[in-house]
Amino acid sequence: MNVRLDSDLDALMVRLADGDRGAFTRVFELLWEPIQTLCRSLLKNEADAADAGQDAMHKILERASDFDRSRPAMPWALAIAGWECRTVARRRERRREEAPDSMPSQAGPHAEEVFLQRDLTAAAMAALGELSDVDREVLVATFWDEAASVSGATLRKRRERALDRLRKTFRRLYGLD
Amino acid sequence: MGSTDIQLIQRRVRRTYELARLRRALVGILPVILVTGVAAFAASRPTAPLAFGLATALAGAMMLWHGRDPQKAFLPGVIAGLVPLGLALGAGALHTCGAASCSYVCVPACVLGGVVAGFAVAGVSLQRRASGWFWVSASGLALLTGAMGCACMGSAGVIGMGLGFGAGIVPGLLRRVFGKETR
Repeated sequence: MNVRLDSDLDALMVRLADGDRGAFTRVFELLWEPIQTLCRSLLKNEADAADAGQDAMHKILERASDFDRSRPAMPWALAIAGWECRTVARRRERRREEAPDSMPSQAGPHAEEVFLQRDLTAAAMAALGELSDVDREVLVATFWDEAASVSGATLRKRRERALDRLRKTFRRLYGLD
Repeated sequence: MGSTDIQLIQRRVRRTYELARLRRALVGILPVILVTGVAAFAASRPTAPLAFGLATALAGAMMLWHGRDPQKAFLPGVIAGLVPLGLALGAGALHTCGAASCSYVCVPACVLGGVVAGFAVAGVSLQRRASGWFWVSASGLALLTGAMGCACMGSAGVIGMGLGFGAGIVPGLLRRVFGKETR
């Protein structure tokens, strides 16, 4: 990733958030190619990637005025684009399920779904890694249905707090719940 | 994808950006609409508060949509304008009638409110080292907001508030000019 371009983008996004329209074209140019590349690599389909990329650009610039200047712009934009790609992938999956006769049968799980699942799991693991040992133990025990060091109301309270922190960390890292 | 297509997409995305800003601006002026409703309800003649309220809401929406200094001036302008508005609405109910005539305290309240609002706008502008657009935008919005209440005595109240505002803002303006000269 080009650090200079990223810091340029951060500064331009701040200007755009403040209403400086002069930054619009450059922001569009800086975001366009990385988002198209991400969508192509996630969706493995030119038409779907183009649709998802355009939708992502609309979402990003729609939220440009709410841009949080304390966060880097490129990961924020790519997170939005990633979610847009997931939406397109899910839509495509539903279309396949609705019309099984029109599509040839496919053996095994779809590569895109596996890829997206892996991507999401990696993001969740990264967020989990930022939590304290206690929070991590509570969440892992909850997920695997294991016995934790505490139980009852204390466990419930700790679980709520840990989930809340995980949610905040995920939002901080990826900009989305 | 050709450059024409990308330009078309860019135009569409730009429209989305502008519409999003407009939506935010319309949400942002909801408190102004609420204040207008309260002022119209409290005033004996609601036409003037409604007219000035509409002008305030339109000006506020334009400022919030435009962004930059006018957007930053929106909140200080409205808050400063609430001072003459509140004083005028409070004073609207107070009047004393003697044998010869009635004495209203609306105009003095508007002048006092204008002075306070002028001081407030100048203080915030100096503190933020704001540009001329900030001063103009905040002053305009403060005057419009205050005029909702100061129309209680017709044009006399509004003119009184304007004069008071001018008096209140002059020291700040001089300080700004003086500060520039000394640099």
